[in-house]
Amino acid sequence: MARTRVCILGESPLVEEYASLCLNKGFEVLLRMDPQGAKGGQARIPRGARKVARPPRNVNLALELTNISMESKRKNLVELDAVLAPRTPIISSSVTVTVSEQSAWLRHPERVVGIGALPSLLEGGLMEFASSPLTEESILKGADQFAKDLGKEAAHVQDSVGLVLPRTLCTLVNEAYFALTENLALPDEIDTAMKIGTNWPFGPVEWAGRIGVTQVFAVMMALHRTLGEDRYRTAPMLRKAAALAGFDVRIPAGNAPSK
Amino acid sequence: MIKTIAIVGSGTMGTGIAQAAALAHFDILVYDVSAEVLKGGMERIKEAFRKGVGLGQHTATEATEALSRIHPRRGFGDLSEADLVIEAAVENLDVKKEIFKKLDTIVAPEAILATNSSSLSVTAIASLTKTPESVVGMHFFNPAPVIKLVEIVRGAQTSNETVRIASGVVTKMKKTPVVCRDLPGFIVNRLSRPLYGEALRLLSEQVASVEEIDRIMRAAGGFAMGPFELMDQVGIDVNLAVTQSIFEQFSNEPRFRPHAVERQFVQAGMLGRKTRRGFYTYK
Repeated sequence: MARTRVCILGESPLVEEYASLCLNKGFEVLLRMDPQGAKGGQARIPRGARKVARPPRNVNLALELTNISMESKRKNLVELDAVLAPRTPIISSSVTVTVSEQSAWLRHPERVVGIGALPSLLEGGLMEFASSPLTEESILKGADQFAKDLGKEAAHVQDSVGLVLPRTLCTLVNEAYFALTENLALPDEIDTAMKIGTNWPFGPVEWAGRIGVTQVFAVMMALHRTLGEDRYRTAPMLRKAAALAGFDVRIPAGNAPSK
Repeated sequence: MIKTIAIVGSGTMGTGIAQAAALAHFDILVYDVSAEVLKGGMERIKEAFRKGVGLGQHTATEATEALSRIHPRRGFGDLSEADLVIEAAVENLDVKKEIFKKLDTIVAPEAILATNSSSLSVTAIASLTKTPESVVGMHFFNPAPVIKLVEIVRGAQTSNETVRIASGVVTKMKKTPVVCRDLPGFIVNRLSRPLYGEALRLLSEQVASVEEIDRIMRAAGGFAMGPFELMDQVGIDVNLAVTQSIFEQFSNEPRFRPHAVERQFVQAGMLGRKTRRGFYTYK
């Protein structure tokens, strides 16, 4: 059987993470990265992946992994929709915009399925998918097969910004940044407290580093926009950290209490 | 140097702290207003040490020695020799205020007064003493002999020296101290609120079911337990009370607003594992 050919568009570091895993599992990977998402330095193209200027027609599956620039995301999706055969599935991250909203941009919205894609979450053993009322059953099955091929469980949730895990993690990080804004404790102590005190796998400040503050910020802005609730407003220090993400700036310790 | 620690209150937290401190070679005075509760507390400590030997947590000799260092005390005046008092009474500000007013007149001026409160202001409690700089929060987590974390809460007037000494005691108990400011919920209770809040909202918005949300948080997020399993374990009523308290202390900040779903479970008496019904049903 021929290798599954996947085309991955989007921002760094999500594109590299998905490309690496797909290559690892024997997929043929074509990719194009939006330079906007790369923080500071150059994004690294995983060995074995091929850079393309535009998505080719003959792929089995396409991934669109842009969370920050909605302009880029829309452009990428419209391009994929025009180039790919009508029944080729598009798995598109839906952590900052719903699948339903994305559908409105496309001529073949029935082939789009959302995914809870955030940096570092591929280390987990489950992929979260969301669909619009237009998404076809065969596309959902395709998504399940994709998860299986990558060695992951699959879960299907309703179409809502951030799905389950990205929404929860970003809200946890945002609360930690409120705590940092208020100088509740030092960043390391906050992480230590949550890991030892309540058995979290990572501390919230650690999660911010793994996911990237610009991604967290984008998810919080999207939650605030779509749910319209004050509980999703961004912490002042998260806002600043996202603005300075391209620079090597440490979280200021301020006059945090010391031992 | 802290040698003698008095513990006010011989409930679950008080006796748990007494065990951990006695194993760390501190001399312990355990006080309770009720003779009966005190007797029950001492029995629980003995039983816990016996079990600890069985589980290999400590040797029989260590347990016997630790137990010999724990002394029940019926009179408040008997606590005068304590270098550190850890108050672990009921979570009621009026009760705690009374205790600290009395302690202030009994202990040596250089003694440190600590409260194990998880939800009350250390600053407010400290304000009733002549030496607010010597008052600090020492928030142990249940079960105290097991959980390695202690939040050291710095009230508005707590001195650096008090924070340093309290942290040192925690370290000697082979636990990890983290220092934080006196803000509602401190670190752990406050920063874990969104885990439950988002789970309840995802459920009520029909994004996913209880089982699916828990499965996703475990398998994709790496959490040992899902948020609903955790709420059932802690008690939905207990979790709601923590949320409510933090919400109110932050002047009704919307990030901490309790959710109607959890309130309804409490109204129904479905409190989690302890009532065999909560988000899940238990046999």
